[in-house]
This record gives sequence, C-alpha cells and structure tokens, in this order.
Amino acid sequence: MKQIENIPDQGILLFKSCMVSVEYPGIESSTTYAFSKLGIDYLVSDEQSCCTGLGYYFDLFDQMSTTAIAARNFAVARKNGYTNITTLCSTCYAINKKACALLNSNDEVRLNVNSVFKEAGLDDLVYEQNSLDDVDNFYHVVEILLSKAKEIGRLNAIDFSGVRVAAHHACHYYKIQSDDMMGNPNHPLLIDTIAKSCGADVVEWYEDKTLTCGAGFSQIHVNRDLSLKVTRVKLESLKNAGVDLVLHMCPNCQIQYDRYQPVIEKEYGTKYNIVHMNIAQFVALALGADPKKVCGFKTHSVPLDDFLSRIGVSV
Amino acid sequence: MTGTMADPLSEYDTPACETLAQTVKKSLRTSDSIGISRCLQCGACTSSCPAARFTDYNPRMIIKRVMENDISVIEDESIWNCFYCYTCHLRCPRNNSPTQVVQVLKQMAINKGIGLDRLKVLFGYGDTFAEFGVSKIPDLYVGRMKDDFDIRWHEFKEDLDSVRSELGLGTVNVKDSGRGEIRAILEGIGFFKRQEKLKQMARTKKPIFESDTSNESGEITDEAN
Ligand code: SF4
Ligand code: SF4
Repeated sequence: MKQIENIPDQGILLFKSCMVSVEYPGIESSTTYAFSKLGIDYLVSDEQSCCTGLGYYFDLFDQMSTTAIAARNFAVARKNGYTNITTLCSTCYAINKKACALLNSNDEVRLNVNSVFKEAGLDDLVYEQNSLDDVDNFYHVVEILLSKAKEIGRLNAIDFSGVRVAAHHACHYYKIQSDDMMGNPNHPLLIDTIAKSCGADVVEWYEDKTLTCGAGFSQIHVNRDLSLKVTRVKLESLKNAGVDLVLHMCPNCQIQYDRYQPVIEKEYGTKYNIVHMNIAQFVALALGADPKKVCGFKTHSVPLDDFLSRIGVSV
Repeated sequence: MTGTMADPLSEYDTPACETLAQTVKKSLRTSDSIGISRCLQCGACTSSCPAARFTDYNPRMIIKRVMENDISVIEDESIWNCFYCYTCHLRCPRNNSPTQVVQVLKQMAINKGIGLDRLKVLFGYGDTFAEFGVSKIPDLYVGRMKDDFDIRWHEFKEDLDSVRSELGLGTVNVKDSGRGEIRAILEGIGFFKRQEKLKQMARTKKPIFESDTSNESGEITDEAN
C-alpha cells in the first residue's frame, strides 16, 4: 500500500486523458490550477499520447500494442525528467501500471517492444528494464491531492457545511492493482477525506458505494439498457442517502453520471437533485478558481448554477 | 492465399495451448499469478458482479467451463455483458480474475470471427490513434450520444477549441515532430496487420450472433479515415 508521506510533489508528468480533453477539459485546467496553488512541480507534455485504454477495453487493442504505446510515453516522461506519471483518468492509471510491470518482468515483451523502436529508428524510446517502477512512478491525481488535504483545507475559501457530498471512486484505480491503492479497497475514502478537509458534510457510505458507474467501456454503447440500469441503481442509492454533490475521479464515470443522469430521468420518469464534478474541480473551487474560466462547468450536462450560488460562488 | 492472414499478435493474448486454462494463464492479458486453477467455486465473483445482477451472465460458471475445457464458452453471448469493472478480480479469495479470463475468451472469439459486428465499428479507431495519438469514440456511438444528450452538449462539442482555449489548454492532438512515431510503432508491432485480418474476416464471415446495434451505419464506413 502506498503511504501518504511517500506521495511525490515534484517531477510530476500530468498525463493527459482523451476523455478529459474532449468532454470535461475543465478537469485538466482545474488540476493545473490546484497544482500551481499547492506548489506542486508538474509538466504537461504535448508529445504524450493517449494510453489506448478505450481501445484495449473495447477488445480492439492487444496487450503488446498497448505496452509499446505506453513505453513511448514512458520515454516522454524520462526525456523531460518528469517521471512521476500522474493520471487524470483511472484507466490510464491501471493501463500504464500494467504496461510498466510487464516491461520490467517479461523479457520477451521488453525485447520485442525495443526491437520495434530500433527498427523504426526510434532508439531514444528504448525502455531499460526497471527504469521506472510500476508502484513508485505511477499515481492518480486524487492521491497527490490527498497528500495535500490539510493544506487544501487551510486554504479553502468556501463554506461547504451542510452540503451532502459523496464519492464515487473509480474501479480501475482501486480494484485492479488493489495492493497499491491508498487505503482499503473495500471502502475507499480518498475523495471523502479531501472533501472533509474542506468542511463538507460527507456521506462516507451509501448502498452500492463500490458498484461500477455502469459505463463498462463499450457497454454504454452496445448494451445501453444494461449500462443505464446499473447507473440508475447508484443514482437511486445516492438519492436515498440525500446526496447533493457526487465527486468523481475518472472522466468515464463522470460522463456516465453527469451526461446520462438527464437521460435516465427522462427514460425512467424520475428526478435527481444531484450534481457532479471531479475532485480536482472541487479542490480548484475551494482554492478560489473561477467556475467558468478554470473549472469549465459549461461543458457539464447537469447544470451547476444553482449549486454554485447555494455555496456562494457567483457564476 | 487463403482467407486468414498471419497475425503474430494473437500469440500473445491468446497463445495456442492444450487447454483453455493454459491459454488463459499464458496470455499477456492476464496476471502472471492468476489463480484460475485455485478457483473453489465460491461464487463471490458472481454475487458481486453487476452484469450477473441484471443478466444471465455468471462469472463463476464461466470459470467452471474454462476449467472443464469447454471450448463452447467462447460462443456464449453472455460473456459480452462483462463491464470490465474488476470487482470479481478484487473480491476473489483465490487471486483469480474472471474479468481477465473473459477478456481472453473474447479475444479467442474475435479470432474466430465471433463478435466482429461489435468490433467493426471500431476499425477507424486505430487509424485515428495513429494519426492524432488520441482515442476517439466511434462515429456510430457518437451518433447515439447526439440523440441522447441535449443542446448544451451539442453546442459545446461544436465549440470545443474555443472552450479549451478559454481554459488555457492547447490542442488535443499529440505532437510527434513529424516522425510518425505512433504509426511506426503500431506498424512494427503488427497492430495494422491484425486489424487488416479482422477487417477481412468482418467482410467475409457471417457473425455468429448479431448485436442489437448492428445496422446500416455500423458498416465499415470509417475505414478510410
Ligand atoms: S470468486 Fe474466485 S474462487 Fe470464487 S468462484 Fe469466483 S473465481 Fe472462483
Ligand atoms: S469485471 Fe465483469 S465479471 Fe467481474 S464483476 Fe465486473 S462485470 Fe462482473
């Protein structure tokens, strides 16, 4: 298990996410805003590619191709001297960790990937065994923020008291490499802890807290009814727990809740008074960010205007 | 030449072995320590599985059939209900991973031309990825999202570049200094060869089962992207 005192705040490669970029770009700008405020040394590189995770879990990408693309991104981190790869998305997190473990432990994989690099004249991408560690070099943004929770609480400018907040932790962060997550995978509390430090009224447990969001990669597209059934179960239990705000740590989950909540309301003839945002957007707000110019709430499907005015943020 | 083309990549995800369980253990997609032989049929996977909650999919049974070397399991349509949420992987007391097993079974199915109707809408994905270094939701699915979501989403999508620049963010696509790195890597690793094989199979083979989204626009229209 990762220990909080070992979470780095230097040399962070903030790993861009394809779904953050095109659906909720405000998650990225909120993260860089919060990182700057908290004095975290990070880099965003336009050489970094997407992790292939969507393709992998759409059953299209194979493990070797995914590992080769990951090795290229590891070279980007190495060349820039920012080797603490920190993701905005839980799929990027688990995909990169697995690729790194394979490159270190499986000689055939490493040799194959490296020979492809050399044959293409891309010798600078060659991956040296154990040049990165699959535990110590890979983080999710939520871990970095958790390591700064006290400071975030101290700098918080918003009165969140009385706001019922619940967390949806992303499956691929804590269920795949569960030994490496911070805390107990049967009851993840990373987001809860950060929200608490800002004085929110946190609902630590609700029915089905650890149930998937329902997106299931291709499921929302290919098995839409099944996918929405699962999401509805969670929305119902959040409603029963009287939750006002759900905090997320993965753009895929956020799409599933924020974009599909109105769809479920329509199809099931129900109504949820619940809004959604990423934990980085929440922290940025707490640290004084502009809801439009930094948090980018404009791209959300469930409008946040009423919620923001309730907590005294002018829109 | 016969219908099937060489595909070195399938050796890694679905290595040919004497038994299904051996293929699962040897596959690069599964963890080295996967405990499939240790499965005690306790059902913790099924009882925590969201797909089992709403469909007749049953991960415990899938594992049983794999251990019995019942090859027909790859034709069982229920395996396509898995969410890849890894709850079974977390809960299993024997370090087995039904979801990783199912991923291997699905790759085996795909190699036989099963489920290609679901896969073929993705055939533009690899090319987009090679060119821009980003993943894109396939056009067919975006069409459905357009129907589902309201005007706010449509407007923002039209306006993505200006929204991003207002937030101080740069372009979405990867910069690779003209080296065509990603394409060269995918080419060298054999990704496009495999994709060619799948495309060819999708053209010539009749899928064994039809998915409910398969329709005219699901054809391989984005091939040339
Ligand atoms: S939880 Fe593990 S041991 Fe129990 S039935 Fe499922 S795979 Fe077998
Ligand atoms: S990963 Fe698949 S089999 Fe495992 S619990 Fe989730 S839906 Fe069920």
